[in-house]
Amino acid sequence: MSEQLIAVLDWAALLCILAGAMLSLVAGVGLIRFPDLLSRMHTAAKPQILGLLLVLVGIGLRLVPVETNVFSVGTLVLVGLFQMVTIPVAGHITARVGYRTGRIDEESLARDELAERLEARPADEER
Amino acid sequence: MIDARDRKRIGLTGLRRRLGKVQLPMALGMTLVWMLLFDGFQLRRESLGLLVLGFLVSVVIMVLFPLPPITPGPRFHPVHLVRLIVHVLTEMAVASFQVTVLTFRPGRVRSSVVAVRMRTDSDLTMVATAIAASIIPGTLIAEINRPERILYVHMLGADSDRTIEKGRRDVWTLEERFVMALGTHEDIAALRAGGPEELERKGGA
Repeated sequence: MSEQLIAVLDWAALLCILAGAMLSLVAGVGLIRFPDLLSRMHTAAKPQILGLLLVLVGIGLRLVPVETNVFSVGTLVLVGLFQMVTIPVAGHITARVGYRTGRIDEESLARDELAERLEARPADEER
Repeated sequence: MIDARDRKRIGLTGLRRRLGKVQLPMALGMTLVWMLLFDGFQLRRESLGLLVLGFLVSVVIMVLFPLPPITPGPRFHPVHLVRLIVHVLTEMAVASFQVTVLTFRPGRVRSSVVAVRMRTDSDLTMVATAIAASIIPGTLIAEINRPERILYVHMLGADSDRTIEKGRRDVWTLEERFVMALGTHEDIAALRAGGPEELERKGGA
């Protein structure tokens, strides 16, 4: 590969990794700033996933010119895939437990259609 | 009393029934993951052995932990699939920016938990929509009601009727993209039949 192309790829990789790191920083700030459990779950899961994807893309761009075999990026693909599939489950379980144990801060919710629903069927919730 | 031979026969039929539950596409997918994990595509002497071993491992997993098949299986519509991926990626980028703005805005952030009723009755599109909504910043699945096909979505920063409606519409758009890309003809028909406006009139959602 020509020198120039490698330089361009290097810069693209640099920008991707930097943007990913910034998003992860935002996630950290959000974790401190947001008031309640559910909003915190957002920051724990979200900017992080795009951040991680960007970092992975950056690493991939850096790897491709160095290694001739493109399939070595496979591990990166797997990391991204498993993160995307598992993070929603963690968020869902946390939210669910929060509701079932009454740890939801009603102050910070403008509208809560799930709580209305759960209150409508208290007998069902006892089980 | 069941004697030893009978027990053996029962064991064999059980094994055969379980082998019947092995789903070939699923096994192939797991083999692919196995190959990626062990760098099996970097051709060397062990590659073929890795492939065979990976396939055997995935069959053993499916025999030990059988799962019900995904019915009806996904149909792939290439054009819509590309549109779906582009849609999810742009939403991720835009919403990441919005969440960043919310993070640094002074004052308390108020959110809502909104019930969104799905228009199609399919496990696959429901799960896919839930996962995608969770991955896209600003929305998080708090609870799923499968029999009534309602997703309870926590929306960050949705504190007025207008923003809540917008969020609900976003989830519906997501569902529509998934149904167009993976759904069967019945799903697509169901989608056309019950638009968001009609459901709202019925007091659904």
